[in-house]
Amino acid sequence: MANITIGVLCCHYTNQAGEEDFRGIPGTVILKRYPCSGHIEVADILKTFEEGAEAVLVAGCEKDKCHNLSGSLRAEKKALGARKILEEIGLEPERVRFAFLPRLDTGPFMEEVKKTFETALNMKSKS
Amino acid sequence: MIIAERRPIPKVLKAIEPYEKILVLGCRGCVAVCSAGGDREVETMAAALRLARKLSGRPLETGEATFIRQCDPEYLAPLKEMVRDYEAVVSMACGVGVNLIADLFPEIRVYPGVDTTFYGANPALGEWQEKCRGCGDCILDVTGGLCPIARCAKNLLNGPCGGSQGGRCEIRREVPCVWHQIYERLSARGELDRLMNFFPAKDWRPAGHGGPRERIREDLKMG
Ligand code: SF4
Ligand code: SF4
Repeated sequence: MANITIGVLCCHYTNQAGEEDFRGIPGTVILKRYPCSGHIEVADILKTFEEGAEAVLVAGCEKDKCHNLSGSLRAEKKALGARKILEEIGLEPERVRFAFLPRLDTGPFMEEVKKTFETALNMKSKS
Repeated sequence: MIIAERRPIPKVLKAIEPYEKILVLGCRGCVAVCSAGGDREVETMAAALRLARKLSGRPLETGEATFIRQCDPEYLAPLKEMVRDYEAVVSMACGVGVNLIADLFPEIRVYPGVDTTFYGANPALGEWQEKCRGCGDCILDVTGGLCPIARCAKNLLNGPCGGSQGGRCEIRREVPCVWHQIYERLSARGELDRLMNFFPAKDWRPAGHGGPRERIREDLKMG
């Protein structure tokens, strides 16, 4: 099976997952950590696709727990913006996933990473 | 300020179809303030174009730059040198910027990266509303500061149309009828007499219907 790449864009607080955790993902993970998910721009998401990701997860802190109050809400909107552009250029918008996640809890984070990998797998098999 | 919005990517892709290396050029004036053509939007446009072209098997190289303004020859001057490395420019400035580049540098192939929509205010984050159409002969002195040319769907000058219902415009319920607003405003001030003078048919020449408008200030010209 061809190697599958996914992107994970998140803030420092959302996850502390290390290489150990990603070992369970049978593909390549492009991980980009930001000081706050509110810093993630539409362009960052698109660039991750350019780098070869089949699907990208944008993750921010739970709505009322964001370290910078509204960073993750902004990140959610950026994910929507990226979806819109993917649609315009003929890619499935579902390739961009967004999740509000509890801080510093690797379990739910890895769940979302796995779901993103499944999305990537589905997309790859369709193309 | 001048309001603009990102052009749909397929339209931009079509315009730059023949090229392999383009410059995406932003403007830090109005379009940056209304989040359509500043540094961030330049980055997004460039990334979107590259991704689309990569998928189509014809990769595109992009350069990115943002000028202080594109409606001023002084700020556009560096473009002449900068553009040597590129086959075309996608300008994220309003149409004024694109036109001025086309006027000043006939050799540069320039394409719009935004659609320029109106002159507007920014009453709340993420919201812009049209307030003036630059008609060249302002009547706000009579209408309580509210413009029926920009804000009435029919540009009426002598009161509301028959479709004005409960303060709402007949084109859409969420749009206030500006003539209703003008009436309410002047009535509250006891200034309804301002509306007693009938507006004759408007001369639209100063509004641009007499050809492109120009303003010359001899006192400011050099030499
Ligand atoms: S009357 Fe003309 S100049 Fe005055 S606000 Fe309306 S469109 Fe603008
Ligand atoms: S309802 Fe009012 S704003 Fe709408 S078209 Fe009629 S006069 Fe103009």
